[in-house]
Amino acid sequence: CGVLLTTATFAPPTPALVRSHRATARAAGSGRHRICMVSDFFYPNMGGVESHIYQLSQCLVEQGHKVVIATHAYGDRRGVRYLTRGLKVYYLPLQVMYNQSTSTTCFHSLPLLRCVFVRERITVVHAHSSFSAMAHDALFHAKTMGLNTVFTDHSLFGFADVSSVLTNKLLTVSLCDTNHIICVSYTSKENTVLRAGLDPEIVSVIPNAVDPTEFTPDPGRRDDSKITVVVVSRLVYRKGIDLLGGIIPELCAKHPDLCFLIGGEGPKRIVLEEVREKYQLHDRVRLLGALDHKDVRDVLVQGHIFLNTSLTEAFCMAIVEGASCGLQVVSTCVGGIPEVLPDEMVTLCEPTVRSLCDGLEIVIARQRSGSVPSPASIHRRVETLYTWRNVAERTEKVYNRVSGQEVLSLDRRLTRLTSHCGSVAGAIFAFIAVLNYLFLLLLQWLIPDDVIDIAIDGSGPQSCWTQTSSKKGKRKANQIL
Amino acid sequence: MVLKIFFPQCCTTADSGLLVGCWIPDQDSAVVLAVVHYPFIPGQVKRYLTEIRSQTDVDLTVLGSWSMPKEGQEGMDSFLKDLSTIFPHSRWLQLSREIGKRGFTCQVVRKGGMFLKEQAKEGEGSVRDENEKVIIVHYDQRKVMLSQLHPVQEGVSHSKMEQSALRAVFHTVAQSHPLFFIDKYDDGPLKLTHWQSEGREASIIAELVKQGSVPVCKLLTWMLSLWSWLGSIRLLNVPPVRFISSKLSTCVQLGYRTEHLQTVSSTRKATEHMEFMRKANIFVSFLLDMALGLLLIAWLYRENRIGKLASTLVPVADHVAKELRELLEWLMGAPAGLKMNRALDQVLGRFFIYHIHLWISYIHLMSPFIEMILWYVGLSACLGLTFALSVLSDMVALLTFHIYCFYVYGARLYCLKIYGLSSLWRLFRGKKWNVLRQRVDSCSYDMDQLFIGTLLFTILLFLLPTTALYYLVFTLLRLVVVLFQGLIHLAVDLLNSFPLFAMGLRVCRPYRLAEGVKFRVLCEEEGTPLHLMMEINPIKVSAVLQYYRTPTYSCYPRDSWMALCKKLFVGELIYPWKHKTTKTD
Amino acid sequence: MADDSLTDIYGNRIGVACRCHSDLCREVTVSGPKLSLRSVLVYTCGVWLLAYAAFCCTENTAVLSCAIILTLVGLMVYIHFFKVDHESLLIIGSLGVQLSSSYASGRECTSFIEMSKIKDVVINEAVYMHRVIYYLCILIKDPADPHAVSSVLPLFQSSKPRLKCLIEVYKTCQEILAQS
Repeated sequence: CGVLLTTATFAPPTPALVRSHRATARAAGSGRHRICMVSDFFYPNMGGVESHIYQLSQCLVEQGHKVVIATHAYGDRRGVRYLTRGLKVYYLPLQVMYNQSTSTTCFHSLPLLRCVFVRERITVVHAHSSFSAMAHDALFHAKTMGLNTVFTDHSLFGFADVSSVLTNKLLTVSLCDTNHIICVSYTSKENTVLRAGLDPEIVSVIPNAVDPTEFTPDPGRRDDSKITVVVVSRLVYRKGIDLLGGIIPELCAKHPDLCFLIGGEGPKRIVLEEVREKYQLHDRVRLLGALDHKDVRDVLVQGHIFLNTSLTEAFCMAIVEGASCGLQVVSTCVGGIPEVLPDEMVTLCEPTVRSLCDGLEIVIARQRSGSVPSPASIHRRVETLYTWRNVAERTEKVYNRVSGQEVLSLDRRLTRLTSHCGSVAGAIFAFIAVLNYLFLLLLQWLIPDDVIDIAIDGSGPQSCWTQTSSKKGKRKANQIL
Repeated sequence: MVLKIFFPQCCTTADSGLLVGCWIPDQDSAVVLAVVHYPFIPGQVKRYLTEIRSQTDVDLTVLGSWSMPKEGQEGMDSFLKDLSTIFPHSRWLQLSREIGKRGFTCQVVRKGGMFLKEQAKEGEGSVRDENEKVIIVHYDQRKVMLSQLHPVQEGVSHSKMEQSALRAVFHTVAQSHPLFFIDKYDDGPLKLTHWQSEGREASIIAELVKQGSVPVCKLLTWMLSLWSWLGSIRLLNVPPVRFISSKLSTCVQLGYRTEHLQTVSSTRKATEHMEFMRKANIFVSFLLDMALGLLLIAWLYRENRIGKLASTLVPVADHVAKELRELLEWLMGAPAGLKMNRALDQVLGRFFIYHIHLWISYIHLMSPFIEMILWYVGLSACLGLTFALSVLSDMVALLTFHIYCFYVYGARLYCLKIYGLSSLWRLFRGKKWNVLRQRVDSCSYDMDQLFIGTLLFTILLFLLPTTALYYLVFTLLRLVVVLFQGLIHLAVDLLNSFPLFAMGLRVCRPYRLAEGVKFRVLCEEEGTPLHLMMEINPIKVSAVLQYYRTPTYSCYPRDSWMALCKKLFVGELIYPWKHKTTKTD
Repeated sequence: MADDSLTDIYGNRIGVACRCHSDLCREVTVSGPKLSLRSVLVYTCGVWLLAYAAFCCTENTAVLSCAIILTLVGLMVYIHFFKVDHESLLIIGSLGVQLSSSYASGRECTSFIEMSKIKDVVINEAVYMHRVIYYLCILIKDPADPHAVSSVLPLFQSSKPRLKCLIEVYKTCQEILAQS
């Protein structure tokens, strides 16, 4: 009968309970952390942050750490779920405000996050993405509760417009007493240090990675009688879809054998549809709509050239995926993109229609003449560049460093907030921090820590995850009572 | 394996004899239906069982033996065991009761393993079959026979029903109804113990009523067919007549009642539970409706109440008209300090005031006849309270026709403005609505088009508040009327669809409608198997409503609150109006 | 298993009693905290004080009688529909599981689930009232597909014992389920 995880968990300890011996072997070591990854963005939402969190967590679990993920509820998916290797995900019922980001009031998420931190005995809270209000909330609460904090910034920001100014202020407040910050590229680090006014010493650069085994080239799948340009991105303003709408008619007029294959969904889809109808390119521009993560590779291998038109990007995973599938990459030269791939593998252009068209012309000419390296050789080069194992090892070092540090006590935190974030904002947020602390005291009085049941570990040294239960565990139906 | 024996409560004190019942296939359970007493002739028992089997679908067999110790009946054990050779079986149950104990023991003898068992018995002295555990479940035969498990599964194939053991038990007991017709005063070759009915006097009356109802039903059916023939005459199917009759709640109620009576008066016997309950519910609520209607008549036609009513009606209508006129005059000035577009305001106000004037003169023309009309209309209550209420609702609708008209004018004007504004706003932004693809496209306009469009947009925008105010006021008035009609309609719906019979059954005979069963542990004595008492768990009152509610159709649009608010905002007409057919692309 | 140190998720004492009727039949009863006289008094006095304040303002005695009736009706509704005195779980091997909860007024709510409908009994986690708790639940089989779970029926919904107690009950259930 013991097919469900819980069934296996509470069965009396029998030899049948096969534990992952790697985990048990390392259990004796004291360098194991219990990490809680917090972000608004996680599967079933798709994107760079989501896969980063998932892959990093998987590698950390493999290293013997205990990892849980906290995110907000996605539609029907709420409660607790288990993923591969006993990775536990909390889908907390918090109200989504805009663009899958929760609203922040600094307080209302405290009871739930405290419950998660206490019952999982978390030592390090790792928040992701500066767009995620939940991540900032979690950092704030974790500091109030005296936990070590790490933050990973995945995006670049401007300094000029109103929203940037506000977000930057929030980031300054949020990061001024965070133990360590991770950025995905040097450009991103520079940006974050400037925005948040940080000491560059506590900012590390750990790039993203791709799973090279998932993105393998398959030249047989593509149609060599024509040249296919593949675009895979969310169809939003930030990804430069308006540029794409300018490129398509110009190049299609010049090259009758050029096709576009566009995967992704978003509000800017209408721009592409109108272009397609206006120039009657229905047979040459295919819009595939939203793609599942597993289908991305199948789309990529159908093309010759990968085009990225982003207007801002901290680290572009998409071009690494494209290159890993053996495609020629043409990209705008913004943010951290120049750092990502070696110069001979990517053609960089200015973010204008003119420049992008020129860049594409060069690559098309090269493709026609046959003077491009074979997909397999490109794949071999990319394979060694970015691996998740490497990322996980570097992140582990950050955790080791952080866990030795002490968390600022309330009075020192208040001094730091007031001295570091300007007089007005500092005072406001110091006041909020005090309120938050009082709220925590109230919660601790209502539900003392020892009344909260300690959760049974799904990953980490005391993991109860077994090989047999791993398949069925995902099906566990969690419901809100 | 665990063997479950369902044992009727009335047999616990029966004399020794044979257990008659049936095995439930695949469930490892046996249902005991009766006990055949000594003395009997095995041949007769067999003949009797085949007879019953042919009458019912139940596979009736001899399950085993029952022994009730009495003074002077020793040496019974060996005799009972011998019996098992007479009747064919695969498993033979031996239930035996001991003096001074409440529980009784059970032994199971398998056909193949009989000799083994005998030897084991000699060796150890007591027989406790370790492989075969037994649970004895006591049940009240009458209640189980009469109760109906919910959710009702009728017409579902047998194999699917058998999935649940309890359902199978209920089904078996209910099916073996003919077995219980023999009572203990009957002189038959066999003496049986099982549940027995207490008397038949009442059932004679019931039979007579049943016989008598057949001609009544036939007469009713004939009259109804005449009525529906009248309804199907060409004249009534002309479009406007049909449209109006579909909006008049009296006509709707009439059609509805006809349908009900047709259901009740059909001479076909209701075989299925749901059908029977439906008929009974309709019949009882029909009777209640009539009784209430007659009460109303008795109250209304005394002390000249009709005359008083009629004499107050005209002043009330006058008063409403006066209030409306004052409201309009208020709107034509500067309502709540708002500054309106004076020209448009005046035009609209005068238009509506003229309308009120028309209406009042119409009412005054009618006033001498109102009492007579009321007198005849009041008679409709003898058809039932629901009719009286429907007529009231219709009269309210007719008397407030002017409010309805105002509402329609206001809404149409407002709707036009909103549509105009929204499309001009799109023009303003360089977009247009693509009808073919049901989406907003971008579009480049000429200078002239943009100029004219912007001009019109400005004019419409500045005239909007005036129209919106008129619309708002008249919509509120209309909503008050609709609310009143809605309340009446709810009351009519409640009378029509309330499952009165089922509710009565639930209150007076809770076991008749069962949601499931509940178990109670009866006694724990050493050496006896587990005894459980199975009781009927009556269905919840809310579930009764849900199952047996007579389906009604309502002429009100079934909008959600949000949809209603949205409709009000864009100025679409709410009740009563033709439903817009949804666009398909 | 009658252990006094067991608490519910709010830290209140609960009593857990397991009766073993035979090796096929177990009954677990979890009784929550009793209706405390103090809280009843506090609420009643609160309502009456409010009513008296209203009476001083309005000088209308109907307010006072309303308050008395309101408190009485409120108390009756509370003990009849909301206050659960104890919940019990009767597991009968090969027959089924019976859940019953009895209210402070003596009303009993019982439901019986046949063994053929039960897929398993498991401990699960859920988000409940701004916290994450463990609860015991019955997985009901989908009649169309015997391997799928059609619904989850939580047990001890009003007493909400903690994990330690749940594990004990879980073991008891699994013992009986394993037999049949």
